[in-house]
Amino acid sequence: MSWKRVCSANDVAANSLKQFDVDGVPVLIANLGDEFRAYPPLCPHMEERLEESGICEGGLLTCSKHLWQWEMRTGEMRGEAEKPLLLYELKQENDDVLVNIEKELEYEYEEDSEEDDDGFWD
Amino acid sequence: MKVSGRSKAGKFTFECRTGERILYAGLRMGLALPYECATGTCGTCKARVREPATIKDLWPEAPGNSYLQRERGEFLMCQAHAIADCEIAVPAKMNSMPEDYIPLVSTQGTIVNSRLLTHDVMAFDIELADPIDFDAGQFVVLQVPDVEGGRAYSMVNYERATRRLEFIVKKKPDGRFSEWLFSSKADGTVAELCGPLGRAIFQPEEAKNLLCIAGGSGIAGMMSILSRGCQEDYFKDHGGTLFFGVRTLNDAFFLDELADFVSAFPDKLQVTIALSDEEVASIETPHNGSLNFATGFVHIVAAERMNRHYDDVVAYVAGPPPMVDGAIRTLILDARLPADLIRYDKFS
Repeated sequence: MSWKRVCSANDVAANSLKQFDVDGVPVLIANLGDEFRAYPPLCPHMEERLEESGICEGGLLTCSKHLWQWEMRTGEMRGEAEKPLLLYELKQENDDVLVNIEKELEYEYEEDSEEDDDGFWD
Repeated sequence: MKVSGRSKAGKFTFECRTGERILYAGLRMGLALPYECATGTCGTCKARVREPATIKDLWPEAPGNSYLQRERGEFLMCQAHAIADCEIAVPAKMNSMPEDYIPLVSTQGTIVNSRLLTHDVMAFDIELADPIDFDAGQFVVLQVPDVEGGRAYSMVNYERATRRLEFIVKKKPDGRFSEWLFSSKADGTVAELCGPLGRAIFQPEEAKNLLCIAGGSGIAGMMSILSRGCQEDYFKDHGGTLFFGVRTLNDAFFLDELADFVSAFPDKLQVTIALSDEEVASIETPHNGSLNFATGFVHIVAAERMNRHYDDVVAYVAGPPPMVDGAIRTLILDARLPADLIRYDKFS
């Protein structure tokens, strides 16, 4: 367990996203109005920076590039999305937003990467 | 050459002709290969090839190559010929083609009637030897002998089994095709074309009100959509609202055509020209009766004028990337449209 302070609660406006660097790990903080969430900073589709491409509305996060969408609270896929969002564990202590970073979360942008090439082409 | 492929949807094979791009060959055979720009930029059509020597990369510097891991055999299907039988794998989801999908064809046509619409926008037509079909909102990839590489342009007109396609091109500082078109006599040139392409198509059977937001040359596909809507009396029963963004009135074009659309269906069609760099108070045009003018960026003007009245709407968006991004924000944040009712083809 490694809880790290990311930012202050009023560093991120309601219904918006802001990216922070936490000891070299990029973390995207979302303010849902009543709660915060923490994700890896890039869209799981084509590595867009969600801080720039992301739109928060009604509890949904939309990447404006190809309209992949997710439930902000859970990271579940909606609409066109083909991969869920990953989440860091997050807690708020008074005014501080803290995230539990065991290791940096990153999306697997290559399909079938678990397979070796022999299996891949079967 | 035989292309054997696999995706999550299963296995497929298709024949790729000599000199034919793998993407176009698959689409010609009705396969729902993933793509957006079809011209090497967006990276959407990436795939893996088992033996890199079986394909030829036509544009090693393509911007879309930044999405590739070359050492894994990744390549862009829109920028590759098959030079031997090859095996490919497609990572993106392959949805099935709609039943009324119009298959892609590769053909030739002659550029005619090139003409200036504004100081930096030209229109031209292509006359085809054989008629083709397309859906309103679609584009083709054009190639001419003097300019390397293909360019995607949306059709302005709408007609089934047509022998004439109409296009517009905006002059860009380093745009080699636009430089060629503006500086030389293009008329009479034989162009290669592949199409139709693009999924942001008008689907009258949806029976929704159309909301179109276009910037600059993005108006092309919207003209096609409005043409079809007018030809088929769609706007007798359904609303149509177009916001067309340009810098100043001098940059606007198709105003006569748009005014004609509106006068045919004055109760249901509304067109607003949004001028980002000119105050509306100074504007007097013959179209003042039928066209609205407003000052501001087109997606902001659209939000203001729609005033949260987005009843039963399907939205179409086309234009430069920052404008498309702004329009999508308007449609999600202000119109609260679900993503499947926002239609656009991404070219960058």
